[in-house]
Amino acid sequence: MKTTYKYLFLLLMSLSIVGCSDLVEEPEGLLAPDGFFNTPKDIQTAVDGALTHAINEKFWGRKLSIALMLRSDMVNLNSTETRRMEHNSLTTLTNNGMISEFWLKTYQGIAAANLAIDGASYVDVAENLKNPVTAQAYFMRAFYYFHLVRQFGAVPYIDAPLTDAVAAGSISRTPVDEVYANIISDLEYAKTWLPNTQSSRAIPAKSAASSYLALVHLTMGEYQKAFDEAKDVINKKVTYNVGLDANFQNLFNAEVIDSSIEPIFALDYNNFEAPNNGYDQIAPMVGIRGDQRGSGGGWSVGSPTLAVYTSWDAGDYRRAVSLDDRANIADASKVVHTVDYTQFDVSGHKFAQNTPYIAKYMRYPGAFARGSARATSHNYSMMRYAEVLLIASEAAVEIGDNGSALMYLNEVRARARMGGATKTGADEEYTFAASTIPADHTGTVTVNDVLEERRLELAFECKRWYDIARRKIGATVFSASGFEGAKSDFSADDYLMPLPADEIERNPNLTQNPGY
Amino acid sequence: MSQKTKLILVFMFFCGIGIYAQESYLLKGTVASAVENIPLPGVNVVISNSSSGASTDFDGNYQIQVKKGDVLSFSYLGFVTKSVTISNQKTVNVVLVEDANSLEEIVVVGYGSRKKSDITGAVSSVTADELNAFPVLNAAQALQGRAAGVVVQSNNGGEPGAPISIKIRGNTSIRASSAPLIVVDGFVGASMPQANDIKSLEILKDASATAIYGSRGSNGVVMVTTKKGKSGKLVVELNTTFAVQNTANKLDLLNADEFADYQNQIRVNQGIASAYVQGSANTDWQDLIYTAGNTTNHQISFSGGTEKVNFYASANYFEQDGILVNSGFERMTFLSNLDAQVTDKLKLGMNLFGSRGTKNGVATQSNGSVTVGGDDVISIAMRFAPDVDITDANGAFTTNTIGDPVDNPYAVATERKDETKTDNFRANFYGSYDILENLTFKSTLGFSTKNQTRGIYQPSTLIITSSAEGGKASMGNYRTTNVLNENYLTYKKEIGKGTLTLLGGASYQKNVAEYFSAAGNGFISDSFSYYALDKATTLLQPASYLQEYEIQSVFGRVNYDFNDKYLITATVRRDGASNFAANHKYATFPSAALGWKVSNEEFLKDNEAITNLKLRASYGVTGNPSIAPYESLARLSSLYASSNGQTVNAISTDQAANPNLKWESSYQANFGVDLGLYNGKATISLDYYNIDTKDLILSNAGIPEYFGNINTGSLANLGEINNSGFEISLNTRNISNDNFSWNTDFNLSANKNKVVALVNDADVFNNGAPSYFSVDRSNILRVGEEVGLFWGYEYAGVYQGGALPAGTATIAGGVAGDPLFSDLDASGDIGADDRTIIGNPNADYTFGITNNFSYKNFDLSIFFQGSQGGEIFNMTNVQLNNGDANTTRDYFNSAWTPTNTDTNSPRVGNNSNREISSRFVEDGSYVRLKNIAVGYNFPNEVIKKLGLDNVRLSVSAQNLLTFTNYSGLDPEVNYAGAAGDNNTSSNTVQGFDFGNYPTVKSVNFSLNIKF
Repeated sequence: MKTTYKYLFLLLMSLSIVGCSDLVEEPEGLLAPDGFFNTPKDIQTAVDGALTHAINEKFWGRKLSIALMLRSDMVNLNSTETRRMEHNSLTTLTNNGMISEFWLKTYQGIAAANLAIDGASYVDVAENLKNPVTAQAYFMRAFYYFHLVRQFGAVPYIDAPLTDAVAAGSISRTPVDEVYANIISDLEYAKTWLPNTQSSRAIPAKSAASSYLALVHLTMGEYQKAFDEAKDVINKKVTYNVGLDANFQNLFNAEVIDSSIEPIFALDYNNFEAPNNGYDQIAPMVGIRGDQRGSGGGWSVGSPTLAVYTSWDAGDYRRAVSLDDRANIADASKVVHTVDYTQFDVSGHKFAQNTPYIAKYMRYPGAFARGSARATSHNYSMMRYAEVLLIASEAAVEIGDNGSALMYLNEVRARARMGGATKTGADEEYTFAASTIPADHTGTVTVNDVLEERRLELAFECKRWYDIARRKIGATVFSASGFEGAKSDFSADDYLMPLPADEIERNPNLTQNPGY
Repeated sequence: MSQKTKLILVFMFFCGIGIYAQESYLLKGTVASAVENIPLPGVNVVISNSSSGASTDFDGNYQIQVKKGDVLSFSYLGFVTKSVTISNQKTVNVVLVEDANSLEEIVVVGYGSRKKSDITGAVSSVTADELNAFPVLNAAQALQGRAAGVVVQSNNGGEPGAPISIKIRGNTSIRASSAPLIVVDGFVGASMPQANDIKSLEILKDASATAIYGSRGSNGVVMVTTKKGKSGKLVVELNTTFAVQNTANKLDLLNADEFADYQNQIRVNQGIASAYVQGSANTDWQDLIYTAGNTTNHQISFSGGTEKVNFYASANYFEQDGILVNSGFERMTFLSNLDAQVTDKLKLGMNLFGSRGTKNGVATQSNGSVTVGGDDVISIAMRFAPDVDITDANGAFTTNTIGDPVDNPYAVATERKDETKTDNFRANFYGSYDILENLTFKSTLGFSTKNQTRGIYQPSTLIITSSAEGGKASMGNYRTTNVLNENYLTYKKEIGKGTLTLLGGASYQKNVAEYFSAAGNGFISDSFSYYALDKATTLLQPASYLQEYEIQSVFGRVNYDFNDKYLITATVRRDGASNFAANHKYATFPSAALGWKVSNEEFLKDNEAITNLKLRASYGVTGNPSIAPYESLARLSSLYASSNGQTVNAISTDQAANPNLKWESSYQANFGVDLGLYNGKATISLDYYNIDTKDLILSNAGIPEYFGNINTGSLANLGEINNSGFEISLNTRNISNDNFSWNTDFNLSANKNKVVALVNDADVFNNGAPSYFSVDRSNILRVGEEVGLFWGYEYAGVYQGGALPAGTATIAGGVAGDPLFSDLDASGDIGADDRTIIGNPNADYTFGITNNFSYKNFDLSIFFQGSQGGEIFNMTNVQLNNGDANTTRDYFNSAWTPTNTDTNSPRVGNNSNREISSRFVEDGSYVRLKNIAVGYNFPNEVIKKLGLDNVRLSVSAQNLLTFTNYSGLDPEVNYAGAAGDNNTSSNTVQGFDFGNYPTVKSVNFSLNIKF
């Protein structure tokens, strides 16, 4: 009897011993920054995070790219959606629904770059093994801030992972020249450590850092530096394995672009469709309603005015590649008509326009593309060799080197007259004959000559708005004689977009741009 | 070995010593009750100061070896213990008198129990009779209207197996759950047993009562005690119930001809020249998806025991065929409680509980995740074109012909498979040991697990949903396990005129949740269902996670009752939890309460009118465990990147560590009065409370987006809300005589809540509309207002053309017949800035009233329950007034036309586009005849012949009558919203009606047999 009690009692006592914990959480299946970074591969994983934010729908996939197109004089809006109308008519409000999305996405890209750069300090390997990887993060940080500073001017400059929410939550905007100084410093680092070439143009190489340095200097008005940097790329074109692609159409053909030498830095949507809109939607946004390509047709949100087409030399191969003036379009009864642009509204859709549509992204979206040509496999060139030539040309004009300006400008124009295999928007394949248009420029090159060349060469590649803003030519291009007619609401304040109103609510120390 | 352990072993040693001396002889006798002289079985007959004893048999007989001088003690639960000294009697017959004190209700509180008259906190009790007044799947349902301050609502109307939400004293949080802690037989965080197994249920409401549960106490605590066996006669009880059910309501919609008229009018109004081509069918989709439901519930239990061992065991089978075709629920439940008095001092016991529930779900309450609402048969049945047949000429299921393409509701209801199997198991072992006369040690070790598997198959026969994919299948498994160990000491001592009770203990609990899911699209055959995921042509991403947390706590309580007049209670609990952030791992939750039994004072002692008067006051702090595991840690987010044509894993910053995150704390004051008049003829309890809930955790907490976190809603303790209100419970014995009795229970509670602080005190918006409505916000949190007010446009009637009435405007392009709204920003047209607060879903008060009558063997119970002042946003009408497919006859007949201008309904095909406007805000007040029941107990003479103790037959009906002005299906709405999770009840998205499973009308026949 006694022993029984003893055992029972011991049982009771033993029960009370169960559990005594330090209460520290050790999650499984969850990623924590502590201890994550051990090898250069881990840095690359964070760099890939920085890269992939850029291809999201909130950034290049739609929101930013479309905003940049609509703000320019080359793409008009066929939609009544307020947030888009605000960009097209330059009446942007501080609560614009597109800005608030790419503001966040841009900073997420920066945070991922900062994560990689900070993480690299924990990776205990030789500099020559890890710095070339980390240099990609420096490049991406510069890439994002360069977008921000051109969109908003002064912005909060964050260059490390933020841990103290209170302190970082009340910082002020970093002045523009300081942001630029940091961008240049990052690009210099990237240029130092990145390899001459990479396995893909979507991974930044030395050429990308150098070309962007040229564009940054050009934007800042440092023309000698811009010229020197662009010339450096041109001089090293063999080392960097870059140059002009013989066929302009190849640049917008998802099937062949991967082997082209022209892209210097590209956002590559190769067979990619990730959650949270991690895929391309530019093509459907600018596609023709009822278009038989890409089942479902485009959404006809943005299209050029007729003036863009009619003012463009018909013999310029680039016009044939950049614009669709014919298409197979289904009407309301699903009967398909092969029509010229004067009858594009045969679809019966209220937003259909009888004007040529942007062709660069609809013709060869790649086999992976989904309905309406969503999720193309395009490589969107953020920087390609033709632009480096035009940077060199523009900078040469500014520093009085007309010879160089002519040479680089004409190199771009020469490729434009070479023609090549292509097809119409109605899927009729043909070869565009070589032509004399655009002929070699002669005599004195002006800044305007180069800007016009950029407008055509880089049409619909989202470069035009930044050119208008940096050259402050809004009063001209948005006048009644502009391609979209008078944008009467334009004022010089529109060169900068407003900071998102809710961001200023979160941190009242952020000031708003003038005019908003 | 500790000093204490040695001491205890010494005690045990003495326990084992018996006394064997003097001559003994056999004593016999019977024990009966004083009233009616009924023999009492199972009476404990013990020789004082010895270990020998006996108990009476079924006829009250006992025999025991005694010797002269022994003192025999006769004890029986509910009776006054009687002692008899043995001289030389051969027979001792004893009559026991019922103990008036023991009849007084005992109330279970955390880690103990108290006499109801000694309670200082706010505690409501619900009896087993009330819980079993009508058959319910979940005992929580039976609480509705039964206790003041407790609001119970199904998360999806009458859906079999839908989760039931309980809220005690309002919304105590914004982001965290307001669901109370459920404690079953001491097991913290248990699942609710089935109603027939519950002996008593207590609802602990104020901080004095709940602070003993510390960080989990602020939503109130539901204490459930299951039945135990009584020593004596073995009791077998059979309960069987059969119920038939029908939908309480349907909407009055257009038939095919009227529908064609309606569509033609829309075409005229929208300038479409061609006429509508009417389909050949005339289908009443609501008729097709609703059916007569039925419920069967069988339970058998047996209980009994000897003087040393008591047991109770039950098995229950519940089956419900829902009123929506193909919906149903089936459940088996087993429960057993075993208690053994091993020695005078040592008691051991074990509770076991197991259940298997199988729910066949039909998609309701669309969140818009499947093409434009195709995941909700209720709302599709309302809007689907009535001139379309179930199948087309080829035998394929039809799809909607006007507006958004959705599969027809009959197809979705019958073809889609959605099965959830839930297994619950719980075991709780305890031992208690009386270390000293006044000191008891109790230790429990328990384990519970819930294992839930949900499979969904959408076959290729669903044209819109899944034909292109060739069938969609998914399966997920969710399992939680919970280990709980609690050890505590209770000490009770009379000190002078007072009684001191001390409680102290420690607790450790660990919870592990695991999840795994997989899915695939494209199957050769629909017969695979979701059991051949490997045969899918497209394998979708699997998912899994693990979440663990631990809580370790110490707790204590002091009760001091002085002279049966003054009561003091103080409790404290210190909780440490792994899910709390690094800088706040531990939290302390104190409370104190005072009670004054005024009626025991000299000046009231002999008052005939006031037989009981007690004043109570309490104050304390409790917490809400609002931080999920790992939520305060620095995290990286995993995402995909494209690299060299390959998809690779990448990372980005998800959130920084948040070491200062704290739990949410409620500071609650409670003042109460308990009044008893004329010896229990009327009892009244009044309570007033004020709860300040501080450190509310809010997301999107003002962290600037330039931080670049993926999770932009970083959390911070920045919110504050206040709830205050009063509760009345009234119980009267109106008539009581031999043949007839009538008594009334009434309770009413009014709660007022207010948002006190938000992040930067800025408005917070939420969206309760299905996502395909493309509405960005439908409700608001604003400082100074109640939680979850409706946000939208102020409807100003129909535009009659010409000049706009002052202060109003139409949506751009409006013409006569289109809706007018208040132009709050005076911009001349209607845009986002014209929105304002347009309604309040929070009820002013809720109440329940039960009248019980009994006449001879008959009894009648009538239970009304109601809610007053809450508003409903009728999302269903937003959809039905939108012109894409069908509408209500009411709208069609009242819509503006050039000849019918005196109306509040805009023309059909008007220029609105599913806006949230006050046009759809309705009064949601209602009074409902929740239950009416007639019972008959067969007379003893009849059933005794059959060898039975009790036979009862009853017929009851639920939801027979509802008085409401609400135009929708039912005023008890709980649409989860676009981001809603049907398993949780949101604090902020409330009062929306869309696609709810309808409340059912039910008629039940029950038979109860005891022998």
